[in-house]
Amino acid sequence: MRNQWMGSIFVMLTVLAFSPAIFAQTAGQPEAKKAKSAISAPDLTGVWANITESAATFNPKEDPSFQPWADAKWKANKNTDPGQPGITNGRVDLDPTVASCFPTGMPRLMTEVFPFEILQVRDRVIILFEKDYAVSHIWTDGRKLPEDPDPSYMGYSVGKWDGDTLVVDTIGLKDITWLDRIGHPHSDALHVTGRIRRINPDRLQIDWTFEDPKAFTKPWTGRTIYRRHPDWNLEEFISCEDRLLHGGESLEQKAVKEHGQ
Amino acid sequence: MKKIRLALFVGAAVLLLVSGPVFAHHGRSNYDVSATATVKGTVTSFEWTNPHALIYLDVTNESGTVEKWIAETNSPNTLSRQGWSRNTVKAGDLITLIGHRVKGGGFYINFSKIIFADGKELSPAIQN
Repeated sequence: MRNQWMGSIFVMLTVLAFSPAIFAQTAGQPEAKKAKSAISAPDLTGVWANITESAATFNPKEDPSFQPWADAKWKANKNTDPGQPGITNGRVDLDPTVASCFPTGMPRLMTEVFPFEILQVRDRVIILFEKDYAVSHIWTDGRKLPEDPDPSYMGYSVGKWDGDTLVVDTIGLKDITWLDRIGHPHSDALHVTGRIRRINPDRLQIDWTFEDPKAFTKPWTGRTIYRRHPDWNLEEFISCEDRLLHGGESLEQKAVKEHGQ
Repeated sequence: MKKIRLALFVGAAVLLLVSGPVFAHHGRSNYDVSATATVKGTVTSFEWTNPHALIYLDVTNESGTVEKWIAETNSPNTLSRQGWSRNTVKAGDLITLIGHRVKGGGFYINFSKIIFADGKELSPAIQN
């Protein structure tokens, strides 16, 4: 009887001793496959800068077809300053990033003038943004979008390769951000699909579809283009440093206010 | 003649494209963009900060009074890509700035060109 116990314990110990190796091996095979697929995936890496004409939005020709509440918000956000030679931004005093120092967030970061860098690793594509030092993780390990993610500024993104195109789906976005730099609003139901393709060695093209059943009456589409800068490194851009340094107001705001404007 | 006109038009269009992003962060509504302002003075300090690098300068006006001006330009990230550093402008430098002044007569300018005492000119702009 005692021998049987000893025998059982011996078997258990043996199993325990070998089990990490078994796990490591079973986990190791798909890892190797993934690593191979990452290497064979099209190369999107590099520092890219926005050169889209009317780069402040995804589609300068057509606004989203808004629900009434969102349309009212858009009319308020829209920059109607006659001194503006081209629309580069929305109403500054209503801009959550410029007026109130909120993070820029996705997808608006893709319409900003500052560059981003794409990195590709085994299980994801990473976009590092110069603006706000923000990071987008696009999971390419086969996972699905979560059912009901908690909203965040960057959202939750998954990607899959369709030939030479990385198809990225993003949901879980906070509605406090603007969708683009000119002030199109969106809700927390926004689903962004970006089809990212390197159309030549130095150009990245992204075709966009925005679905937002709470804010739009139908999907909105657009396209943006980016130029590769092999000699650029990402620097740092923090929106509100001036206000932190000067008591909550930029010196520009103070100069305007002091002279009765 | 037509060619010259076209060149001028293209030149103006390029200038707009290049100069526009100087305002990209906060728009132009606080500025008098209908007039070009020129400010000449002596630098007291250069602040290498976001979202705009700032030059503080003393400007002596026609009546001999010293006005304390602040001049803003692009952000350090875009300036450093054009070869600027926190030492490009130094206290004591005599500089001339060309740009747009804030509305209402405040001593604040957003400049698109800086000319140093030795004649060197720099035109900061975002060049994507």
